[in-house]
Amino acid sequence: MGVLTDRRAFESYVTAARSRWERLWSGDQWVISVGISECSIAKGALETYRHLELVLAAGHIRAVLRRVGCAGWCFAEPFVEVKMPDSPPIVYGWVTTERVPELIDGLRRGDLHADWALGVRSVEPWRGIPPLGEHPFLRHQHRILLEHAGVIDPESIEDYIAVGGYGAFVKALFEMTPEEVVEEVKASNLRGRGGAGFPAGIKWESGRRTPARPKYVVVNSHEGEPNVFKDRRLLETNPHLVLEGLLIGCYALETPYGYNFIGGEHALALRRFQRAVEQAYEFGLLGDNILGSGFSCHVRVRTGGGAYICGEGSALMYAIMGQRGQPRTKPPRSVEEGLWRRPTVLNNTETFASVPAIIRNGGAWYASLGTKESTGTKLITMQGPVRYLGVAEIEMGLPMRQLIFDVFGGMRPGYRFKGIQTGGVSAGPLREEELDVPVDFDSLTSLGGMLGSGGFVVFDDSVCAVDFARYLVAFSRYESCGKCTPCRLGTPALVEILDRIRYGFGRPEDLEIIQYASKHIIELSLCGLGQVAPMPLLGMLERFRDEFVEHITERRCRAGVCPLESAVAVR
Amino acid sequence: MELPVVPRRPIDLDPLQRILEERYRPQDHQEAQELIVGACQEAQHLYGWVPPQAAHLIAEHLGVTINRVYGLLTFYADFRTQPPGRHYLWLCYGAACYVAGAQRLIEVLRDEYGMDEKGDLADGILSVNVFNGCLGVCDLAPVGQLDHQTYVGHLTAEELRALIERLRRNDGVEGSHGGSH
Ligand SMILES: Cc1cc2nc3c(=O)[nH]c(=O)nc-3n(C[C@H](O)[C@H](O)[C@H](O)COP(=O)(O)O)c2cc1C
Ligand code: SF4
Ligand code: FES
Repeated sequence: MGVLTDRRAFESYVTAARSRWERLWSGDQWVISVGISECSIAKGALETYRHLELVLAAGHIRAVLRRVGCAGWCFAEPFVEVKMPDSPPIVYGWVTTERVPELIDGLRRGDLHADWALGVRSVEPWRGIPPLGEHPFLRHQHRILLEHAGVIDPESIEDYIAVGGYGAFVKALFEMTPEEVVEEVKASNLRGRGGAGFPAGIKWESGRRTPARPKYVVVNSHEGEPNVFKDRRLLETNPHLVLEGLLIGCYALETPYGYNFIGGEHALALRRFQRAVEQAYEFGLLGDNILGSGFSCHVRVRTGGGAYICGEGSALMYAIMGQRGQPRTKPPRSVEEGLWRRPTVLNNTETFASVPAIIRNGGAWYASLGTKESTGTKLITMQGPVRYLGVAEIEMGLPMRQLIFDVFGGMRPGYRFKGIQTGGVSAGPLREEELDVPVDFDSLTSLGGMLGSGGFVVFDDSVCAVDFARYLVAFSRYESCGKCTPCRLGTPALVEILDRIRYGFGRPEDLEIIQYASKHIIELSLCGLGQVAPMPLLGMLERFRDEFVEHITERRCRAGVCPLESAVAVR
Repeated sequence: MELPVVPRRPIDLDPLQRILEERYRPQDHQEAQELIVGACQEAQHLYGWVPPQAAHLIAEHLGVTINRVYGLLTFYADFRTQPPGRHYLWLCYGAACYVAGAQRLIEVLRDEYGMDEKGDLADGILSVNVFNGCLGVCDLAPVGQLDHQTYVGHLTAEELRALIERLRRNDGVEGSHGGSH
């Protein structure tokens, strides 16, 4: 593939890629796609892939064997999609290696193994297999970011272009001014997906307004929270989508310097994004004078080494600069003085990934999705004993109850819902009676919860509220960078009080000390970590106060997890 | 489950040198600073830890002081500045794994196998990295990743004990840590 030097060359490549794509799906060979991502590798997807290779060769089946990314249904992995010459693609779940021969032999004989199928990719049922879109996990989803997840090969720029990729960037480049791009993002009312929900268009506009140069545009793919795994899945499954969003961001800021900061633990996400960057350079979609437009752009990939605090904006910038990732006081804000003390626009991975569709379809279209104040779609990961674990994409505003009990399938047999922790380590939980709240930024906040980055943890009766609160606060204690005193000394104090309660030495006044100490930590800490560290504890205390009291006055833990008895015995 | 057996070798700096020359060629001092963490990660992948010789090589290659390199090695949880045990377990301590009982596994490692602050078991058979984040495969919770490749999911205390016994028996001549991706 030679470098594409102008728009016409790009368009004719698009036409060629499209027709190759169509021929792939309409030919008389089998097309078999295996989901390969960190989550499926853990369940043996690579072995499934290798076994398929052998079985297809042994059976002399004319087939194209492909690798695709995670499609969100992690609960059904390893998954395999089979398209036979006369059938629509059928998606099968739980295809472990020992099932491979049975599946392929069965299909050749006309036995469809409907019981292993998640659905067919068509609007109509096909020979008794329902459409994929009717699967309970997918029925309430609205997939924009995940539209091509599990369909295209994440390591193929050609696949991405065949399904319309880079069209939005090229449109912006040739048909829109940078100001118009910012206007469109503003009109969409896209709010940052990294937690705080600040409108991206307004951030971009203030980045434009700062006169100093050079400027930087940075993707935050650090994702160090213990409750969430959506950004790395996005990078693993469709890295070019994030890259295209970043390119549009650089164009809007009129800067040639883009960065992606990826958490060092996310090895496959890192590799696939790097690969995407290399491919974009090969195609001339990155580099100097892109498609002859006069616009140049260079993207650097940087990684961290396992420190949650490096996800915080200013700490992240120090981390890129090769300093210890510790936050600094604001102002100046990053859009005035960020990376290398230059104006820097930082957004979350998902925020950037949302941009191409906004440029393609218009800000007004995006704003019509979701709720008035929280527009568009949101990636959600849920943890805990629910049936369909994975990544879902929903329209903002879906009621929490529906999210838990329809999309994620409700509680697994034998588990009873007790609560759901929201906002990662930064907010409190909700109880059963609060689940009619719409899942969007403001509604959750009004209940003391938080949308955050969209990671939720469902917990059941076997989890003790005191013990869980300790876990969440202890996380912040461990990850505190130690720069400021309220956080460095305050979070260990909270953990100490909670341990006292867990071990059966709690005193009634401890609950007041918690409130009092928390207030100080929240008000006096330098950065977001300390400012929210006590929130999960305060939330648990509000929702499950009786459990705290039981621990203190009766020395009883109804979940039976706290080490109360041994403590009493020691005493 | 196959466990790789790679003999433990003395630190050979050549492979690191080659990687640095091929892929770590900063255009200026600014970029050199941006590359320190990445270079340390390469060393950690090669050796399973960042030996002092490697840290010095990185500092020299990038033209930064050794203090800058050590400043980062001691800041980030992922880096080791001491040689690891023979095997390596990346044990998830994310919320899903916590809710599913990861705490119990850590207690077993501490109480029964003498796991210390660094995550090393007393007899050197295993180094555990208790990961304060999510491995991203929560439906296997509680879960760990052994020697950079094999996932061990739905771990119970008994299974963890059995795993360690297996590692001990299998360990015959040499174990492996210096994993590669
Ligand atoms: C302790 C801490 C950790 C954070 N971690 C992340 C993270 O991993 N990813 C992320 O996108 N934002 C994270 N944030 C939020 C960022 O500071 C910043 O607000 C965000 O990246 C901006 O992008 P957005 O407006 O698109 O959300 C974190 C904030 C704090 C205080
Ligand atoms: S609040 Fe905590 S993490 Fe933030 S700067 Fe202060 S000590 Fe560091
Ligand atoms: S919390 Fe352990 S894999 Fe997600």
